[in-house]
Amino acid sequence: MASLIEVEGVSQIFETREGKANWALWQVSLEIEAGEFVCLIGPSGCGKTTLLHLIAGFMKPSEGSVRFAGAPVGEPSPDRGVVFQEYALFGWMTARQNVEFGLRMRGMGRAERREKAREALARVGLERALERYPHELSGGMRQRVAVARALVNEPRVLLMDEPFAAVDAITRTTLQDDLVRLWQQTGVSVVFVTHNVDEAAFLAQRVVVMRPHPGSIKRSMNIDLPYPRQRSSAEFAQLYAHLGEALGE
Amino acid sequence: MAAEKHDVPPAAVNANLTEREKLEIESSFRNEIVATRHRRLRRGLMFNLIGVLIFLAVWEVLPRIVPGVNIQMFPPPSGVIATLYGMLADGQLAAHAWSSLKRVAAGFVIGSSAGILVGLFTGRLALLQSMSDPVLHGLRSIPAIAFVPLAIVWFGLGETPKIALISWGTFFPVWISTFIGVRDVPKLYVQSALSLGAGPLNVMFRVVLPAAMPFVFAGLRHATAVAFVIVVAAELVGASSGLGYLISFSHLVFRIDMMFVGLLALGVLGFLADAAFAALLQRLFPWYRAERS
Ligand SMILES: Nc1ncnc2c1ncn2[C@@H]1O[C@H](COP(=O)(O)OP(=O)(O)O)[C@@H](O)[C@H]1O
Ligand SMILES: [Mg+2]
Repeated sequence: MASLIEVEGVSQIFETREGKANWALWQVSLEIEAGEFVCLIGPSGCGKTTLLHLIAGFMKPSEGSVRFAGAPVGEPSPDRGVVFQEYALFGWMTARQNVEFGLRMRGMGRAERREKAREALARVGLERALERYPHELSGGMRQRVAVARALVNEPRVLLMDEPFAAVDAITRTTLQDDLVRLWQQTGVSVVFVTHNVDEAAFLAQRVVVMRPHPGSIKRSMNIDLPYPRQRSSAEFAQLYAHLGEALGE
Repeated sequence: MAAEKHDVPPAAVNANLTEREKLEIESSFRNEIVATRHRRLRRGLMFNLIGVLIFLAVWEVLPRIVPGVNIQMFPPPSGVIATLYGMLADGQLAAHAWSSLKRVAAGFVIGSSAGILVGLFTGRLALLQSMSDPVLHGLRSIPAIAFVPLAIVWFGLGETPKIALISWGTFFPVWISTFIGVRDVPKLYVQSALSLGAGPLNVMFRVVLPAAMPFVFAGLRHATAVAFVIVVAAELVGASSGLGYLISFSHLVFRIDMMFVGLLALGVLGFLADAAFAALLQRLFPWYRAERS
């Protein structure tokens, strides 16, 4: 059977400000299985966001093909939930309304929608913040709402672009714990972009290391440490060093 | 200054505060905050009042002491107030104000609805923007009151020309600011909406429009000021009611005191309309400033 996500020979060209060509991605091929947790890691500008946006369907690749569940990726779809780095929650909607948005677009009735949104927010530990507006929530809480907003549509993959980069370190580790738990509970695939080695080592079953100029895949490493991972363990320290090396070489 | 006045010892000094003492401190702290706020508000209002009184005093004295000024030509407040009272009592002022307000409201609703719709579509669709830009910007450059004679020729002397002129004049500021708000809506919002399954119309009306609403509102606020300018211009010629008419009629019968009453009424109405907008903005979009700070 084909993989859930198939990226084949994808290149993406952008125009620089001086009008020159900039290969954000060059000949990238990548397969991601259903239920898999993959981290894309690499320095700024190596095309991580571009790759994620191609999978999401926000743009078409200049070259190559991106397939999802056997079909070419077309328009963005709730099947491929996206969680952005910055706060992409709708500021004029409460947490509950944000989570209900996708269900509403699907034409789900009000009562059912409310119930589902309540459940989704409870799963990320925010049952008490239902009626709060994003500006009344902390950075970590907002990202929880963003995760709930994507998950409530029961996507087959969650595309996350440095979702925890802007929150403080303590909050980040709890968000990571919760993400692993949600991933295990739902069986959703996760493609998680980060430039943080610790984060990749803690989360991923597979780490895809990228390099810039032009953006391409340097190597792909499987991690078979069981979950939940212990940051204090010797294996984790080893893994961390190993990933750091792969990134740096 | 006032905030530093409450002399509560810091909690660290006395580690053995009981729960009750803690609550007491909190409540006196809260009371202090409220009292300070009220004090500031009262002081602000008092100085507002003092400013107005000084203005009135200067106005009262000036026509009497400046040589060569005729009290008939420049009536002081004491002269205007009697006229104002008379015109309030016989309902004349209210009737004129009401005529003007009706025109302003009708034209404002028509013009700004059109402005919002056109701004929304030109902001989202590059093709429409390119097509409409030269024409709209060209028309916008013509001062709306230059169309007064044309409106009279086309629509006569009734309500239609006035409402049409106000619609025309309010359209442009609302269109421009809606356009800018829509154009600058963060891409992230649109991408989020798309990946949550929203179609183009839902993106437009449930995401782009609300996200641009603070800008739209700024345009609407500007448009109210424009509407008052135009209603007066339209009523100065070819009207038989309204504050503009009142002013022009006072000119004909040489009643400068009545003219002053008309001007005063315009000032009050314009000020109230703007204050209402400012208050609404705070109330409707609390998320806007909080998010961008
Ligand atoms: N919309 C765009 N227009 C022009 N250049 C872009 C655009 N998006 C990304 N790029 C360029 O492509 C390269 C990869 O960007 P990106 O995918 O955002 O990298 P990363 O997310 O790994 O930091 C960078 O050099 C960036 O400047
Ligand atoms: Mg990026």
